[in-house]
Amino acid sequence: MATPGPTPLAPRPSGRRWKFGLGLGSLVIGAVVGSSLLGNVPIPLVEGLEIFLHQLSGGALFPQVCAGSRSYAVHCAALTYIVWQLYLPEVLLALIVGAALGLSGGALQGVFRNPLADPFLLGISSGGALGAAILYVYRIQEARADLFLPLFAFVGAVATGLAILGVARGRYSSVETLLLTGVAIANLLSALLSLVLLYNPTGGEQVTFWLLGGLGLADWQVVGIAFGAVLAFGTVLVLYSRELNLMQLGADVAQSAGVDAARVRLVVILLASLTTAVAVAFTGIIGFVGLVSPHIVRRVAGTDYRIVLPGAAAVGALFLLTARDVDYLAFPSSVLPIGIFTAFAGVPFFLYLLFRQRRSSLMGGS
Amino acid sequence: MTGPPAAPALKLRDLTVHYGDRPALLEVNLDVPAGQFLALTGPNGSGKTTLIRSVLGFLAPEQGAVEVFGRPVRSLAIRDRARQIAWVPQEESLRDDVPLRDYVLYGRFPYRGRLEGDSPDDRRLADRILSDVGLQDRASDGILSLSGGERQRAVLARALAQETPLLLLDEPTAHLDISHQLDLLERVRTLCRSHGVTVVAALHDLNLAARFADRIVVLSRGRRVADGTPSEVLSEDLLARVWGVAADLEQDRRTGLPYLVPHQLIATPRPKPSSAFVGPVHVVGGGGAAAPFLRRLAEEGYGLTAGTLHLLDSDAEAAEALGVPSAIEGPFAPLGPAARERNRSLLTEARAIVVCPFAVGPSNLANLEDVLPFVRRTPTFLVSQPPIGARDFSAGAAESAYRGLLEAGAVEVDDLGSLLAALHERLTILSAAP
Repeated sequence: MATPGPTPLAPRPSGRRWKFGLGLGSLVIGAVVGSSLLGNVPIPLVEGLEIFLHQLSGGALFPQVCAGSRSYAVHCAALTYIVWQLYLPEVLLALIVGAALGLSGGALQGVFRNPLADPFLLGISSGGALGAAILYVYRIQEARADLFLPLFAFVGAVATGLAILGVARGRYSSVETLLLTGVAIANLLSALLSLVLLYNPTGGEQVTFWLLGGLGLADWQVVGIAFGAVLAFGTVLVLYSRELNLMQLGADVAQSAGVDAARVRLVVILLASLTTAVAVAFTGIIGFVGLVSPHIVRRVAGTDYRIVLPGAAAVGALFLLTARDVDYLAFPSSVLPIGIFTAFAGVPFFLYLLFRQRRSSLMGGS
Repeated sequence: MTGPPAAPALKLRDLTVHYGDRPALLEVNLDVPAGQFLALTGPNGSGKTTLIRSVLGFLAPEQGAVEVFGRPVRSLAIRDRARQIAWVPQEESLRDDVPLRDYVLYGRFPYRGRLEGDSPDDRRLADRILSDVGLQDRASDGILSLSGGERQRAVLARALAQETPLLLLDEPTAHLDISHQLDLLERVRTLCRSHGVTVVAALHDLNLAARFADRIVVLSRGRRVADGTPSEVLSEDLLARVWGVAADLEQDRRTGLPYLVPHQLIATPRPKPSSAFVGPVHVVGGGGAAAPFLRRLAEEGYGLTAGTLHLLDSDAEAAEALGVPSAIEGPFAPLGPAARERNRSLLTEARAIVVCPFAVGPSNLANLEDVLPFVRRTPTFLVSQPPIGARDFSAGAAESAYRGLLEAGAVEVDDLGSLLAALHERLTILSAAP
């Protein structure tokens, strides 16, 4: 993992937080450039960097990059295409989706006051999966799958979020009820998914691959849409950090201090669903990023949600990018679904955090 | 010229709340003027917390209204409410190890826009409040590192940071030891006096309530059953009626405030002996020995008389509080002929006589001697613990008078419990006889 290791638990002076943010920022930039040269086709480092800077500067830097003697122009043009049209969008999509998952995981953990809450547990991801499965299995608009797959997945995820919210509006619903409702809905959805796949084996393979998550849909258009949506939803979520801080004292205390707890619950769950839906729509189900990222931030930078939410977005972004890179490094020829990698990397790390946490109380016992 | 009368800080009108079918508050009316420290007390389940939650606007009243400074509380936006009312819950669930100063700054939430951070003024305010509650040295420590007493003061500091004119406390001292109880309430009182803040505190400890509050309101089964200054409200009768506990009312010599010394639970009353056969039971005592007997017998439904008691003695006070006709002598004086005459006439009327284990000296030896002529015709019970030898200050005269009573047919009982059993049996038999 490309993040600083956990340090002993204590409230951090704010100087540490800034250093943490700064370090994280430079890590991201370095990782983006490095990762863009990494994929099925190995890109020579120097040439790759030149191509990268050439494209980035709109042709001002290294104008001769493909006219030199080092490689044939066709070869260079192919490399340019690979770096700029395939790898970089993939890298950016990994960052955006990782950020979206980390952010919505952090927000959901905050609003449910539960360290296990994440889009997965609550069934928001499964809702997206069901939407996608319906598309594949019933061959709806197959010709325009690039457009309709994200659409169906998005609708499925958002619908699940709304279903949980429907319960949240109930007068007597406690946070626990809500959480359990989410878990119940998640189970119902995976049962439905199994049912759909069982009776319609055609299309099942595509669905399965999509269920494991992947960055295959990445292109500049997808990156643009995802970036805009996640930025919009994420910004509003981050603006609810203070409310989330107070919600940790319990909904009643928060309300006595001026927080409209019911509204915060609605808005945050809705926004977290939307953010997750964007991620699920383009990359399928990628587990563990949403669960682990906020925990890492709380470990390192304290429990203030004004730090936890942006921090979880940054850590999630890095996490997913790292998973992509490790994937290419370990299996250069046959790319495994990225969701498998996040689980392989995430589970041991999460268990480690969990057992360390036993001794302190990072997020209370529940 | 005077302005219009200011609206009370808190006004409840016919407030009624049910949990399911169970009534939690029934037509409670209350006016709390600004600046008052009101203690809300009553047994568990009497509606204290429900009242506080209604004032916070958490519960919608089925009937009646809650007004804070003249405005219905639920008509206020949640943010505006938080600028009017702050709340210290019984125990706040603190899970994250937030630095104490940041935690206190949570109280500034209702004053900050979404994009604003904490201002330097906010930070200064937080530091001032922290030093008011005595936690200035812990400002950078995590809240989870605080002790129980410190933690409750931190919660108070968070509530004070809201700078509200009304502060609600729900059993703020429930988990604190006695010194932290006094410390917390003393700070609340001081801060609220100096800032003119109105305080409504649910306190189940009546003595703490009497010590700190300007006014005590007692709730029982959702109704307001007593309301007034501590001296008006605190009484043995109240404790017996509302809590079912026998107690003595005393006065704190230092503060002049009343306080209650609880003794025992009052058993669920047996079927009361019917007044047809229960004439008065005459209780002989002095020096405080008779008070618990008087109270318990009254509670059991016996008609009572008492004598001869000294004025200002706690037995005489108990008799007066219970409305028991008594023969009374002046303070510390030897029993005079008038008082003894009155005592004898009460003894004549009595259906049973109880001689309490009082200390006997030359001045009140007559109390034993006066009983003797009545022993043969009236059932007489001598409470034998502590033994007469241990409380004889008359050089043996008391002991021989006591033996005289026994020889005349008086019955010894060990204590209050066996007395009740013996009285019950004896008087039932008497009434059953033709």
